Amino acid sequence: MPIPQPSIIAIGIAGLIGLEAIADIPPHPQQIVFAPLVFEPPQAGEYRHTLDNGVTVYLAPSHEFPLINIVFTFKGGRYLDPADQVGLAAATGAMMRRGGTTTVSAQDMDEEFDFLAANASSSAGLTQSSASLNCLASNFGQCFARFIDMVRNPGFQESRLAIYKQETLEQMKQRNDHAARILSREWRFLLYGDNHFEAALPTESSIESLTADDLQWMHRRIFHPGNLIVAVTGDFEPKIMLQELQDAFDDWAFGEPVSDPPAPHTTLEPGVYHVEKDIPQGRVSIGLRAIRRDDPDYFPMLLMNRILGGGGFVSRIVSRVRSDEGLAYSARSAMSPRVHYRGEFRASFQSKNPTVALAMKIILQEIQRIRSEPVSDDELATAQNALIETFPRTFESKAGMLNLFVNDELTNREPDYWQTYRDNVRAVTPADIMRVAQTYLLADQMAMVVVGKWDEIASGDLEGRANMSDFFSGAVTHLPLRDPLTLRPMN
Amino acid sequence: MHLAHGPVLVFIALSTPTVAQHVEVESFVLDNGMEFLLVERTEQPNSIAAGWVAKVGSVNERPGITGISHFFEHMMFKGTRTIGTRDADLDAEYIAGQEAIKGQLNELIWTVQYQRFRRGEIDDPWNAANDTDQMRTLRAELRELAEKHRDIIVKDEYSEVYTKLGGSSMNAFTSEDLTFYFVNVPSNKFELWAWMESDRLYDSVFREFYAERDVVHEERRLRTESTPTGKFREQFNAMFWQSSPYAWPVIGWPSDLNSYTRKEAQRYFNIYYRPNNLVGVVVGDFQASAIKPIIREYFGRLSRGEANPPAVVTLEVEQRAQMRMDAQCDCQPQVEVRYHTVPFGHVDSFALELMAEVLNGRTGRLYKAMVEGQEIASSASAGADGRKYAGAFSFRAQVKGDADPPQLEEAWYEQLARLQEEPVPQRELQKVKNRIAANAYRRLQSNFFLLIQLGLFEGIGGWEYINESPAKLQAVTTDDITRIANTYFDKSNRAVALYTRKAGLEPQDVELAALDAPTRDRVQQQVNQLLKVKDLGRLQMMAAMMEGMMDQVPPDDQAAVKYVVKKIKERIAELESSSGN
Repeated sequence: MPIPQPSIIAIGIAGLIGLEAIADIPPHPQQIVFAPLVFEPPQAGEYRHTLDNGVTVYLAPSHEFPLINIVFTFKGGRYLDPADQVGLAAATGAMMRRGGTTTVSAQDMDEEFDFLAANASSSAGLTQSSASLNCLASNFGQCFARFIDMVRNPGFQESRLAIYKQETLEQMKQRNDHAARILSREWRFLLYGDNHFEAALPTESSIESLTADDLQWMHRRIFHPGNLIVAVTGDFEPKIMLQELQDAFDDWAFGEPVSDPPAPHTTLEPGVYHVEKDIPQGRVSIGLRAIRRDDPDYFPMLLMNRILGGGGFVSRIVSRVRSDEGLAYSARSAMSPRVHYRGEFRASFQSKNPTVALAMKIILQEIQRIRSEPVSDDELATAQNALIETFPRTFESKAGMLNLFVNDELTNREPDYWQTYRDNVRAVTPADIMRVAQTYLLADQMAMVVVGKWDEIASGDLEGRANMSDFFSGAVTHLPLRDPLTLRPMN
Repeated sequence: MHLAHGPVLVFIALSTPTVAQHVEVESFVLDNGMEFLLVERTEQPNSIAAGWVAKVGSVNERPGITGISHFFEHMMFKGTRTIGTRDADLDAEYIAGQEAIKGQLNELIWTVQYQRFRRGEIDDPWNAANDTDQMRTLRAELRELAEKHRDIIVKDEYSEVYTKLGGSSMNAFTSEDLTFYFVNVPSNKFELWAWMESDRLYDSVFREFYAERDVVHEERRLRTESTPTGKFREQFNAMFWQSSPYAWPVIGWPSDLNSYTRKEAQRYFNIYYRPNNLVGVVVGDFQASAIKPIIREYFGRLSRGEANPPAVVTLEVEQRAQMRMDAQCDCQPQVEVRYHTVPFGHVDSFALELMAEVLNGRTGRLYKAMVEGQEIASSASAGADGRKYAGAFSFRAQVKGDADPPQLEEAWYEQLARLQEEPVPQRELQKVKNRIAANAYRRLQSNFFLLIQLGLFEGIGGWEYINESPAKLQAVTTDDITRIANTYFDKSNRAVALYTRKAGLEPQDVELAALDAPTRDRVQQQVNQLLKVKDLGRLQMMAAMMEGMMDQVPPDDQAAVKYVVKKIKERIAELESSSGN
């Protein structure tokens, strides 16, 4: 049985449509009369608890399935890697789950979780790290005890660390196999700089230098209650769950809370960049760093991007590059603001080598158009409606909803963000969109990175509609492929 | 610290849940034969996941039209007489006009260009660069007409209507056995879904046909031709299936993709997109009693096909001899060993699935033996793939360190022999069953995922599988696994693919990279031969000779010779240092 949600008032269609015969089918779907759907976003505070030691816990029980899902989210991640040990935080996150605990071997811990049918995992991301457990309510006690042991007392067993390092090396060897990996690597190097954590990649020597002691050190920095927020969903009673957590955290020492992630210091050098790869289809990213998440221009940018290339088939780039011209299967733009520094705007596509230039040209035309002409009211309304109508789905699953609350709290998002979201979307005007496009979409400031076969790309399409000398007066920086294990240029 | 291995933990009770999961599905069939499956779920309020399955996929195709099921899926988003055009009659005229030109073009390509291609006069009959004058004229006409047509097309109106009204995650996919169209709508907009989906089943119009075909070509380049292993997997698949239509790729062979016309697509629609070949699935926040009248009203207007779609008659023939493929690619060295097994729902499919589970995961046999034990694999997994008409079982692994694919292949045969000769211990089997029981709940949590599973199962066998399979999997015994391991895994029933890394440029070989391609290959071959020489004196003599003759070498070839000398000297240094140790 579902638990009633006091903050969510949904009017089911059953009560409104009635059971009498439906009138004739309207000639167009816009003419269908829909019952209203009243939805108010849930308030984080209604799910929030604080343990005696000060740790925040979000609880959202549901008894539909006999499963319990616990997620520990820690502030701190790969930005904490020392310069000569890139890969340390990632190794620490992965090895917590794989390396046993101080009292149980890795193999026995794996057996225990598997036999109990529990999914336990741990990882370190760029700015946040996590450990999670999904298990049957019937054996929650045993699973949770081992999970807490794993989070608090990881063993980082040597034999498993050796396997992890070898696996990472094997992954590295594949760095030049797929054009997508080459592109995303060079893209991040250009936008964030080689040494910024967004771009930094482990090398053979940085991985080989890692020891279990190094992992313990990183574990002490990230995985402690001072960085932690807990979220629990599934089949449990809140009172009992709070007590379980209270007991588990009882003597868990607070470490020093981690600092915020550092901002990149690189200056993007605009231009066309190319990496050679013998494939029939070129892969392209075009863009630059634009805004932070809490920027006042966030909502105009959100809608601008949807209209330009982030709104699926309805958006301009998809419509022209894909459906008009058939130049790409996937063509789009995305805006990825970061919390602590400006994140990127990026248009991307893949097209057969000879039509790479043509697709690029069309995308730049569309960027120019959204800068110079106001979007139509209809286009804007479609983009606004899409965000407003799908808004309830943001909170569809309880685990997803708590994940939002945890993330908001860890990154100090303004508390009424979700409550004012739809009003902020509605408030954006065509003039706002033109203004932010003019401010941020500066084509002559952008990097245009191409991976593919240059002799086929450079000369452009058969009909002569575009070629690579159409951009930056034909100036190109040919980037060398990098040695997969050292990342040093190969010539 | 290293801790002792072995069973230090005692498990007092098995953790199998006592209550079996059960999905309440309401199923009914309209008079026209269209079936519906409804699952009311209020746990995720305010939204409905809805979709429908056409029981048609690449298995229903034939040579000449391979890939048409998938292409068709793309065309279904192009609109109807109502959606997507400002003038339905003019629209039809333009489409007919383009169709006529394309027909003439195809005829010319299949006759004139194919013949020129067979004689070696052109490298690709489909490449527009090889067009004759007549074809160039036709192609220009086609382009002109398509551009005129665009003036009365309402671009992507199908997507626009959904987007504006809150539809999300709208998409579709095509497999060998079925085609699936789905979307999420707010719970007050079920009627929108009924309108949009029944409309495109009622009078779909295949406009922008030829631009969309280019999109599918790009999709093929993206998924198959530009990925490290895509084109080789396609070839392996074509080798593995002998008589079965599973041999060709879902996306189709390139020449077929170029060939089909709107007429062909229309014919396909008339056969396979009739209500008696369709299943609708709705999961989410609704009451069945409220949406059933809407379903009847909208989908009831579709007329039943004149006949049921033709049966897929060609069965896979029995494999008589082992098949092997040797591929060189820009990829991690790896291996796949694949066996013909049984279709979806076959009595032995459950034991095969359990066998795969015994092998998989970090406590599974493959990880323990190959990743952790012998340390020859960086990953290893097994999988049972039961399709509607036939099935396969695969072992796959990627190498670690200096290991090579044949070692992984051998290691697999050892694991197979263990399964054939020794019963799987009870506890090991129970562990796998525990996980399967818990996963039976996990896979029901999302409306959308539940929708996909119900559609898939109903499309290839029966939706009841979702409720019946957990018990059938629990009933598998160790004897069953031993028996199937001895039934389907003979040498003559297997196909083996070995992937080795294509020699690439070594980081230090800047000199080699600078050579033109034919010289590079020749020099590389020569160097490979030299690297096998172990006689230090001979190498030293060769190096001296080549250096001495450098003046007489034509300037264009000097770089190549210098490179060979460099490699000989490296080899000499290597031999000297190893003999010194």
